[in-house]
Amino acid sequence: MYQYTEFDKQFVRQRAAQFRDQLERNLAGKLGDDEFRPLRLQNGWYVQRHAPMLRVAVPYGEMSSKQIRQLAKIAREYDRGYAHFTTRQNVQYNWIPLAKSADVMDLLAEVNMHGIQTSGNCIRNITADAMVGVAEDEIIDARPYCEVLRQWSTLHPEFAFLPRKFKIAVSGAKEDRAAIYWHDIGLQLVKDDEGEVGFKVIVGGGMGRTPITGTVINSFVPWQQILVYIEAIVRVYNRYGRRDNMYKARIKILVKAEGQKFFDQVNQEFSNILTRDVDGAAHIIPQAEFDRVNVGFSYPESVKAYTPAGNGLPADASATDKTQFTKWLERNVKGHKVQGYKNVHLSVKRVGQAPGDVTDAQMDAIADMADRFSCGELRVTHDQNVLLPFVREEELFALWQAAKPATLASANIGLLSDMIACPGGDFCALANARSIPIANDLIERYQDLDELYDIGDIDLHISGCINSCGHHHTGHIGILGVDKDGTEWYQVTLGGSDGSDHAPTSLVGKVIGPSFAADEVTDVIEAVIETYKGQRAANEKFIDTVKRVGIDPFKAAANAVRRTTAKAA
Amino acid sequence: MKFIDPHHDQWRTVGGEDGPMSHPPIKSYSLLTLGQWHAVREQWPAQGSADYKPVGVILPNDTDIEVLEADTAKLALVVLQFPKWVDGRAYSQAHILRARYRFTGEIRATGEVLVDMMPLLARSGFDAVALRSDQDRAAAERALGFFAARGHYQGDIKVTKPVFGRAA
Repeated sequence: MYQYTEFDKQFVRQRAAQFRDQLERNLAGKLGDDEFRPLRLQNGWYVQRHAPMLRVAVPYGEMSSKQIRQLAKIAREYDRGYAHFTTRQNVQYNWIPLAKSADVMDLLAEVNMHGIQTSGNCIRNITADAMVGVAEDEIIDARPYCEVLRQWSTLHPEFAFLPRKFKIAVSGAKEDRAAIYWHDIGLQLVKDDEGEVGFKVIVGGGMGRTPITGTVINSFVPWQQILVYIEAIVRVYNRYGRRDNMYKARIKILVKAEGQKFFDQVNQEFSNILTRDVDGAAHIIPQAEFDRVNVGFSYPESVKAYTPAGNGLPADASATDKTQFTKWLERNVKGHKVQGYKNVHLSVKRVGQAPGDVTDAQMDAIADMADRFSCGELRVTHDQNVLLPFVREEELFALWQAAKPATLASANIGLLSDMIACPGGDFCALANARSIPIANDLIERYQDLDELYDIGDIDLHISGCINSCGHHHTGHIGILGVDKDGTEWYQVTLGGSDGSDHAPTSLVGKVIGPSFAADEVTDVIEAVIETYKGQRAANEKFIDTVKRVGIDPFKAAANAVRRTTAKAA
Repeated sequence: MKFIDPHHDQWRTVGGEDGPMSHPPIKSYSLLTLGQWHAVREQWPAQGSADYKPVGVILPNDTDIEVLEADTAKLALVVLQFPKWVDGRAYSQAHILRARYRFTGEIRATGEVLVDMMPLLARSGFDAVALRSDQDRAAAERALGFFAARGHYQGDIKVTKPVFGRAA
């Protein structure tokens, strides 16, 4: 992990002190709620249905066991024993009173954590592939670049009040697991013909009301110049992005409206910074700075290639253990850059627990497992689970056994019950409908692992409103909560894709008819799944069947189960 | 940071009976609209000449700052605007004025200028603020103090080099 310097540490403490000053002025009536709002947002504090929500930044999803233990402590002592993993690899709390917020910021600062720019119309936390640095198919480790970008974007004075939020994702692997075409800026690390490292820069992707995949603005920006290039993009956006309508304020709208003119402006601005500005080249990243940051990302000393003697499964293990463990290996354990090591997903998706929710006890258990099996490191994944990045192959069975009592051993990674969902109307003030009851019904309906395995790889994404925090547009099955006359309805889409290997072209899902009633959704999904089973070719994944046969057969099956909405339709 | 007291401000806008006077006279501390400035800039004596009079321009935040590029040598003041404090366009205007055009006159923030904008304003090139009337100057000065000892990660107008480019 990146090693915090004395500068980094005092910076987070200064931020906590600054926030305390703002909070105290607010509580004393000297800083109005409307004016406090953007300030607390840029520290991660929203006001939600029950209490403020705090979003803690987890840069590119990487955390230490010490940090998640502190998060568990905060959940226990300040929340109601819960935290929530988000699709942007952050951690959220839903029950901390605002009056305690400055104390929580101090506790976070103790472990080099904060909520800086996890909300507000600024450059948000930088995300990456959860297997960054350890993925088998990785070309270049994105973490040092993410960290340099994080530092550059932190409290940038010119870009704190952009037209709208601004999200950057970075991938250095062959498979895009970071959804880079769905971000305001997506960065793909590449090597040119001479082996020099640079970035393919994609701009103008985004979900929400107007889902658009990004466009390549530059196929190769040398890594040294990436801060300057991003400065150019964000400055053009700050100057010309729409501010008259918040639904048209994201950079995607500007890019779509201006097209080539926007690209020309960015390239002109980039050139102006370098050739005309006072110290314009000061943000070209020197090799020494890259090296200083990068040293933190070298593998722990104990991680060395070796030839494992099996995975620890004892010869006398019970038949049930053997079957379950084998399934877990198949679904939750992925290849690793280093021979003898594996990337292990701990699934938090299980019956009775909202997707992404995790209890303080589970967080402590994750910390213990990270210490015992993964050199004290872990990741929050885009799919709202946990990844242990340094597990010795020989210890897989021992890890699986440790994960079971903590209810973190569901062998369902990538399957239907491993769905993505936002907190929805139960917590979020923006939501039009609840997500959690829909997710819970589906998880309850699809508990049988054999059935889940038969259905196979599938991304099911649920958002409680068009803001798309649950990424419904990119779900192979997407469910979107909508509000009509105060009642919750759900729109179902098929065939969306985030760009990962399941379906490597990033696509927006297609709507299969008018919205369904809440009590119809589980049956609709079941009808869709049954249609897939009936239509699929041998070994054909759900997404491929949808692509091949189109949405009509699915639509017909879904319409057939309408009850409440049958009359209207 | 200079805090402007509106009751003791030597700068004056030049109004006529029907809004701004179209051809304002050449007078010290005239604060002109862009239209007024364009009407008189050719005649306005150059800085350093004996008959120079300090002149300033108020620029809306949706006007390209490029319109002032040729005039920075004549202007003593550029007033930039925050019609809403969360509208951050004027930060980019100020940044370009300083970093690209080397403007050395005063850059003043007006409109909804709040205490907690102070660090951003100072770092983007503003050196004067007209705080909204309900704002507390002591709190504004305190807001400038956070991070003052060790500075920020990225370079800005005050400290042009990022932390990795500065001497330890």
